Amino acid sequence: LPAGLSQWFPALEVLDVSGTGLAELGEELLALPRLHTLLAKNNRLGGPGSLPKALGQAPLGRSLRVLNLSGNRFAELPPALLGLRGLQSLSLGGNRLHGIPPDIQELRSLEFLYLGGNFITSIPPELANLPSLSSLVLCDNKIQSIPPQLAQLHSLRSLSLHNNLLTYLPREILNLVHLEELSLRGNPLVVRFVRDLTYNPPSLQELAGRTIKTRNVPYAPSDLPENLVRYLSLASNCPNPKCGGVYFDSCVRQIKFVDFCGKYRIPLMHYLCSPECSSPCSSASQSSTSQSESDSEDEASVAARRMQKVLLG
Amino acid sequence: MEQPLQTEMWKARSLEELIRILHRLFSEDKVSVEEVQALMESYESNPDEWLQYAQFDQYRYTRNLVDNGNGKFNLMILCWGEGHGSSIHDHTDSHCFMKILQGNLKETLFEWPEKKGNGEMTKKSERVLRENQCAYINDSIGLHRVENISHTETAVSLHLYSPPFDSCNTFDQRTGHKHKVKMTFYSQFGERTHCVSRKQCAPQQPS
Repeated sequence: LPAGLSQWFPALEVLDVSGTGLAELGEELLALPRLHTLLAKNNRLGGPGSLPKALGQAPLGRSLRVLNLSGNRFAELPPALLGLRGLQSLSLGGNRLHGIPPDIQELRSLEFLYLGGNFITSIPPELANLPSLSSLVLCDNKIQSIPPQLAQLHSLRSLSLHNNLLTYLPREILNLVHLEELSLRGNPLVVRFVRDLTYNPPSLQELAGRTIKTRNVPYAPSDLPENLVRYLSLASNCPNPKCGGVYFDSCVRQIKFVDFCGKYRIPLMHYLCSPECSSPCSSASQSSTSQSESDSEDEASVAARRMQKVLLG
Repeated sequence: MEQPLQTEMWKARSLEELIRILHRLFSEDKVSVEEVQALMESYESNPDEWLQYAQFDQYRYTRNLVDNGNGKFNLMILCWGEGHGSSIHDHTDSHCFMKILQGNLKETLFEWPEKKGNGEMTKKSERVLRENQCAYINDSIGLHRVENISHTETAVSLHLYSPPFDSCNTFDQRTGHKHKVKMTFYSQFGERTHCVSRKQCAPQQPS
């Protein structure tokens, strides 16, 4: 970028340097206080000094709304980005990312995140801590599973997952009530019931942990070694409402198919604390009366009707 | 506008001229697919002429009506964001012409599923259509999926359907099951279609 940029154009709001072969964006950027849109796609950015380190501290940290770095050579999300608290739209499509840093949750204002066309293998649960995220694009990557925490993205309206390595989805995906677009094609989704035969019975530590949690046995951090205090904090609730139990590491994995009027079936992964438990398909409305299979199917079909239109796209 | 001889093909020098020639061609009893395809291909895309119809949506591709061909055809512009794609769909016994105005679109052709089909649908072929190319499909040729596979560029395409239709079937690639959907317009003649909610406006919209 030319050295005098901020002197010549102090009021610059939109800067498009796409397709110019740039290998780095220098500190000239930082002196542009009104810049809200920066388009730098199809360049040679990606090396260590590609973005100015002080990106988050400058006025730019609050003013920048849209950043497009697609078609570059980033192998990791540039840490300098994370200070852009006002950023609403970020595209890193078509780069060389192998993962997403948990610190992505610092981009508190993010509404649109495009990460399609990279080499991402997994998604950090911290991604779910972006309260305004409405559009998440993860297509054309190498993702094998979706963390159930993603269901906490209450504002999510569009989720693009096509062309990945997913064999199932977490059942919590049915909780995304505002989801209008969901692409799943090009994933090796299982089509037949898969019974997980390798159920490892709980260890003594796990059994003790379960008892402490379900019986509400009181304990203080001073009562136990730190590692056990941490262990107890990781208890997951069994989704079987009749169970009310918890599990730690030992759980039954069960794939249930949610049927959408016989036209489209997606495999949803359920985690249960024991082989005797059964799971409803939606955790949103818990029926306190019966726990029969047909009852859980009713809850499933309510969520199914809502998702049907979304899925058949 | 010159009158071509029987063997010559039309050349449209602007979008307006393209529409005028289309009206003339479709006023006849018989329309030649080759003639329409060559005409569509002859128009050299000029964004100034269609920018007003190119209304993009962040979440999915859009259908923007340009001309309703006196009831004989629908001419519309589809806007594809990065990564946007359609479902696999049929064309309700109509002719479908698709010309690329900007960017590239990948077209994947599929065989019709077997009556009792319960297996993965069969891919026939796939190709990437470049700017100004015009593809043609109808139900006897098969089904297709259209996608913008670019993660950096948007795409814009010009579609002609004759006769016009407002519903079609979408197909699940893994099972061949079909599902009828209604199609709506994101904008008509350059004006955003007014609607109460997104769901009301755009239940399912294949191209």
